[in-house]
Amino acid sequence: MSAGGWAGALLVAGLVALALAGDDVSGYRFDAQDTEHALEGPSAAHWMGADALGRDLFARVAEGGRVSLLVAIGSTAVAMLIGIVYGAVSGYVGGRLDGWMMRAVDAVYSLPDVLVIVLLTEVFHGVLDAVPDLYRRLLALVLALGLVGWVSVARLVRGLILQAREEAWVEAARAVGVRGPRMLLRHILPNVSGPILVTATLRVPSAILAESIVSFIGLGIQPPFSSWGVLASDGFAAMRSYPHLILFPGLAILVSLFALHLLGESLRERLDPRQRS
Amino acid sequence: MTRGRRGGLARARIRRIRVWAAVALLAAACRPLGGEPPPGELRINLGTEPPSLDWALATDGTSFLLLEQLMRGLTRMGPDLRPQPALAERWEVSDDGLVWTFHLRRDVVWSDGVPLEAEQFVRGWRRLLSPQTAAEYAYFLYPVKNARAFNAGEIDDPSAVGVRARDRHTLEVELEAPLVYFPSLTTFMVTFPGRLDLVERYGVDWTEPEHFETLGAFVLEEWRHEYKIVLRANPKYYGPPPSLERVTGYMVDMDSTALVLFEQGLIDIVRLPALEIRRFRGRPEYRTLPLLRGYYYGFNTKLPPFDDVRVRRALAHAIDRREFPKVLQGGELPSGSWLPPGMPHHNAAIGLPFDPERARALLAEAGVDASTLPPVRIVYNTDQTHKLVAESVQAQWRENLGLAVELENREWKVFLKELVSRPPPIYRLGWGADFPDPDNFMNLFTSSSANNHTGWSDARYDRLVAEASRELDPARRQVLYDRAQRILCEEEVPIIPFFVTSLNLAVAPRVHGFEPNAMDIYFLDSVSVR
Amino acid sequence: MIRYTAARLLQAIPVLLVVATVTFALLRLLPGGPFDREKALPPVILANIEARYHLDEPVARQYARYLAGLVRGDFGPSYKYPGRDVADILRDSFPVSIQLGAAALVLAMLLGVGAGLAAGMRAGTLQDRAIIGLTLLGISVPSFVLGAALVLGVALRFGWPPAGLWESPAYALLPALTLAAFPTAYIAQLTRTSVIEVAGRDFVRTARAKGVSEARVRWVHVLRNALLAVVTYFGPLLAMLLTGSFVVEQIFAIPGMGRFFVTAVTNRDYPLVMGVTLVYAALIVLSNLAVDLVYGWLDPRIRLAGDES
Repeated sequence: MSAGGWAGALLVAGLVALALAGDDVSGYRFDAQDTEHALEGPSAAHWMGADALGRDLFARVAEGGRVSLLVAIGSTAVAMLIGIVYGAVSGYVGGRLDGWMMRAVDAVYSLPDVLVIVLLTEVFHGVLDAVPDLYRRLLALVLALGLVGWVSVARLVRGLILQAREEAWVEAARAVGVRGPRMLLRHILPNVSGPILVTATLRVPSAILAESIVSFIGLGIQPPFSSWGVLASDGFAAMRSYPHLILFPGLAILVSLFALHLLGESLRERLDPRQRS
Repeated sequence: MTRGRRGGLARARIRRIRVWAAVALLAAACRPLGGEPPPGELRINLGTEPPSLDWALATDGTSFLLLEQLMRGLTRMGPDLRPQPALAERWEVSDDGLVWTFHLRRDVVWSDGVPLEAEQFVRGWRRLLSPQTAAEYAYFLYPVKNARAFNAGEIDDPSAVGVRARDRHTLEVELEAPLVYFPSLTTFMVTFPGRLDLVERYGVDWTEPEHFETLGAFVLEEWRHEYKIVLRANPKYYGPPPSLERVTGYMVDMDSTALVLFEQGLIDIVRLPALEIRRFRGRPEYRTLPLLRGYYYGFNTKLPPFDDVRVRRALAHAIDRREFPKVLQGGELPSGSWLPPGMPHHNAAIGLPFDPERARALLAEAGVDASTLPPVRIVYNTDQTHKLVAESVQAQWRENLGLAVELENREWKVFLKELVSRPPPIYRLGWGADFPDPDNFMNLFTSSSANNHTGWSDARYDRLVAEASRELDPARRQVLYDRAQRILCEEEVPIIPFFVTSLNLAVAPRVHGFEPNAMDIYFLDSVSVR
Repeated sequence: MIRYTAARLLQAIPVLLVVATVTFALLRLLPGGPFDREKALPPVILANIEARYHLDEPVARQYARYLAGLVRGDFGPSYKYPGRDVADILRDSFPVSIQLGAAALVLAMLLGVGAGLAAGMRAGTLQDRAIIGLTLLGISVPSFVLGAALVLGVALRFGWPPAGLWESPAYALLPALTLAAFPTAYIAQLTRTSVIEVAGRDFVRTARAKGVSEARVRWVHVLRNALLAVVTYFGPLLAMLLTGSFVVEQIFAIPGMGRFFVTAVTNRDYPLVMGVTLVYAALIVLSNLAVDLVYGWLDPRIRLAGDES
């Protein structure tokens, strides 16, 4: 892997560690209020400053990161799962079914992302009655983001499988009697796992970005949880007097996206044979 | 090669510096352009698009603000928030309090030259009440005889509604029951006279600038939807002509963006975001004032343990209202009484004070052990302010009573539905005055009110509020409202009033004669710009 | 060519029908209704309003009514703005979104292709790496952060350009820059990849060997192929601009369609949500078609299926 890739991987690892251990690193609980120090800028005591209730912004960014990363990874998993199954079936079965399935993908593809995410989030939030209130919104967002993201995965997987079907080793496997799902699961999918992994890595940053956008316009993550997008949105309202409130959540999104892209691109160079130059 | 390259780099650097210098110069040159305000024009931020300027259909603050400039009613709110003569130069009420007679000015014409007639009120009110119009605020005229029945479709004949033109300039209104504050009601936009000829000719487009005819100090010049509305001084206005030639109302919905535009000199009056208030405090641009807008927590009094009045009182005693302005920083005014300061018949002595000792004693008396009680649920609609208040309440009840509190938020529409279908144990709501009469606030918690989600009803309270709405003598009215308020805020406590919201504005120095008031009404006909 | 275009346009109809159906179904699943208010409405009045908008009919009937309206080009009334049709609202706001999007697209094309060429021609150098780093940054910065930075660092520091509103071309500067960041970076990456790829191909080497001047090789072959790559991704590019426009229109108080969508969802203004979604979907479908046509024109090797002539 390239130097950039290692740098990306390291940054990602660092961010995940921070998100997991935020409270312990800063020494403040993310919801501990201290009105004495409300709205103070960065200092030795509060590395990123404090918010309107005197909560430590570093701890809040770490806590927000936990939610942002969780939603992004969860939704990527949903998107990958649906996309791989759909794309594999479409590509492997082929024929008329393939045609219809791809027509459906085209229709979904022409839906504007953010609109659909917003709508789906509201719908899932209403429909998932059985889930405890506290987690309903989170789950709704995960599902909504996942349901929007699977389309490109399905296209990619179908393309890979169509390509693989023509190759000599598949012919060889078929000659010794390997057929159907066994062929797909045991032989073809493992062989195209590289590009799929790359796509998964690159889906995570776009999910983080989409979540932050939806949360910024007030339709995403809701209290008591906050995410980087929520923190940035709160900070935006006070950016004239207290720029640190938007600076640090904004930086968190920027650095995580940057790191994940670095990692993804370098993985792509390594794992995706079509891209190797 | 190397030398040449380096030379190129240096040249490039110089070029870059030149470019930046040019950009900076351009910026400097354009600065006065951005800061030079158009003479005679006031630019304000409306925040949102008025859903409609049809005063029979309008329900929101933005429409109200604009219609105050564009239209007049029988009466108009004065700076002291008492109704004053407007289109009606005087009025009298019959001895039984049932028939009001309004005498209209004879010199009023609409902006298209059509004279004002009493018949225009009659038609306007019938339209408001007609079921086909489906006006949300039709209930404002329910005190008028047969108005409710006509609106509900129980009566088909519009002439049965108790409003008549006795002649061209005399309007007679018959009420269902006496109502002392009727002249306050007629300041409200839904009671303005109607131009049904325009409504019929242009259909829903009659409020567009090319068709809209009004009779206030300003007329509608331009309306770019979801962006801006431009008003122009009305040369046919019957009152003293306004000093402003033009008013532009932008619809910038993010207060932070509006503030930046204020600082760039592009907007003259903006609302301050809570966290920016501290920076403006002490500056001449800063204006603040408590509004007639109450913020309270309600109990579902059908759910244990809140069916026990002692528990409700204990929770009220365990709130230190002084915390709220500290947390919200918006100049909130703590108030334990439901009638807000500034409202006639307000009484500052009413309300349960902060007293943790008493609160614990009351809980013990009710046999409630806070440590074994399942967590108390507070539900609020998603919003930064409501969240901060809820977090503060959570901390206070935990500290003062040892009570575990869970916070839940809902999206606005979901929250409203829930309030009606299955009211949460504890919920937050606010109430802003539609007109500055105590009845507008007190009526909220009567048994028949659609806005009473507490499940609490009290025949004594209902009777007091009804009686007060008919009482002409201010001193006796005060006694009635004091009694009702004590039941509401001290004895039965279905709600805990928290505070009154404040107005926080930044007003550019070029603006003169702008006096904010507790109803947040802008009287722009008396404003001028440098 | 015409037959192909017509065939593709016909294919777009079922796609839009699916979009309309899915959106309609989703909207009816949303909790809360359009007329729930803080100041509760008496049931009589609520019934009046619901009857007026046919909300008291069975959902299937409402759906049929909506589709029938669509065929006539009628998007229905807006619930939130009595007296305004959804079509009116779209007519006012769509051009604004398009102007903003076009300004951002032009900016992104100029900057992106320029940066991509600058990087690709000198692949592997410091300049290349710096540009790669910048493009990664451009892809990683959320629009609200960039917008805030531009407002604080430029608009307030110099008093100009305006940090909001939509009065003259100067007002488009900051929002277009904000919106252009992501596509610029994306286009730069595409251009760079394509330049590197093309530069290594036989026909470029042949051209060089034949003595065609270096400048000509660069500009004609490399640029043409780079543009081809960019055009291929025009669909996703447009989607990016649309996605970004929600936030940018919000931050800079621009009266475009994105702003309407957000408020329409919270207000449960069903017809308005439907209208905005359909317009966006149609835009994406049409731009995909346009891309295919332009692609065929730029690269004659590709024969359009169904194009007999």
